[in-house]
Amino acid sequence: MSKFRKGGGREVPGVNTSSLPDIVFMLLFFFMVATTTKESDPTVKVERPVGLKATDMTPYKQRSEIDFLYLGEPRNPSRAAEFKLGYALFLDNVLQPAAGELYNTNAISRWKKDKFESKPPRMKEKIENVITCVKADKSAPTILIFDIRDQLEKIDALTVAYAVEDNGVF
Amino acid sequence: MAKREIPEINAGSMADIAFLLLIFFLVTTTMEKDTAYVRKIPKKLELPQTDPIEKRNICDIAANNENQLLFRGIPMEDPDLISDKVLEFYQMNENLTKAQTIAALKNPGYKGSNFPFYSFTSKEEIEENVLTSETQLAEVENTPGVEEDVIEFKLKQLDEWLAKQKAAESYGKNILPEIHFQAHIRVEVMAETEYELFTKIQSEVEEAIYELRDFAAKDIFGESYGIIKKREAMDKTDKAGDKRKLKLLEVLYPARIIEVKPN
Repeated sequence: MSKFRKGGGREVPGVNTSSLPDIVFMLLFFFMVATTTKESDPTVKVERPVGLKATDMTPYKQRSEIDFLYLGEPRNPSRAAEFKLGYALFLDNVLQPAAGELYNTNAISRWKKDKFESKPPRMKEKIENVITCVKADKSAPTILIFDIRDQLEKIDALTVAYAVEDNGVF
Repeated sequence: MAKREIPEINAGSMADIAFLLLIFFLVTTTMEKDTAYVRKIPKKLELPQTDPIEKRNICDIAANNENQLLFRGIPMEDPDLISDKVLEFYQMNENLTKAQTIAALKNPGYKGSNFPFYSFTSKEEIEENVLTSETQLAEVENTPGVEEDVIEFKLKQLDEWLAKQKAAESYGKNILPEIHFQAHIRVEVMAETEYELFTKIQSEVEEAIYELRDFAAKDIFGESYGIIKKREAMDKTDKAGDKRKLKLLEVLYPARIIEVKPN
């Protein structure tokens, strides 16, 4: 024992870091649980308008009773001319013309129907209650919104939601 | 030979690995919530002629291609005023008694004559209406060659009366005050009205209805509408009877919004 005392100066003991991984893991799990991953990165520009008292869509997402579609100008400007009024729809990674024009007249109704029919039966709600959430750009002309509504009406998907940014909900 | 000791595993790098994962999730997380206004698209029904809608029951909000607003025929500069005006639309004749309502209806000079009036339905009357709609539905269903739409319409009417019956039960009082059944908000936009203004109108309408229901919720249940709504969404077992409460508020202040397609 006296061997150690010889040096004279007392050493500062190192901080015990063995619980550090635990702390970090705790943080990690928090973020893993709190995270919702984006379904896709739309190739259309969407700047959301601001609104108040909007309904939170998270519970519908959890029950997968909701389908999202994006409406905006294509990120690739050279493609803008292909679409009516320069706005394109983005459905499940595919750009579509917003209105019933060009090569695909019933893109939305077909998309929605496919999605509905591919769901397992136990998760099936009535199609009229399955929400279609339109995430449209601020400056999109509303006629396109009504075109979308028309297509949804045809297949009896009668619930539509207009996405906004609500800073009051958290 | 000396006894070999099993060396301890060095866990020093564990923290690094965990940090790496943590940072990955930090970066990929979007805290942004999806919020939206949920609306129903009305079903197309072919029906025999129904009553014409009185002008006082229409709350008309129009916007043109230049994003200018017209509220019940009067130009409006500031879209923030819509919610106040919608509140006024609902509340103008709300506090009249039954006798006052009858008198006001006869008096064309009354200041609230351009606003919807309230009806006062007693429990017995609701009961009666449920029975008549039931018999009407049965009648229609048994008529050969009747159109599907007519049946659906009758079914809807019955549902409405049943909802009112439930609402009257949870309201507790004998008389259920109710805005005129035709009263509705009509959003009329033009083809090139921007989505931003369209959602602004929706936002203002939503705000007004929220406020009305919140006021009623505090009055009847002593709780704010927001709390009831949130609890209803969280609690699947519905211990506090929130579904029933929300139904009542919806009957008292219905959000009848019609969006007219621009041509």
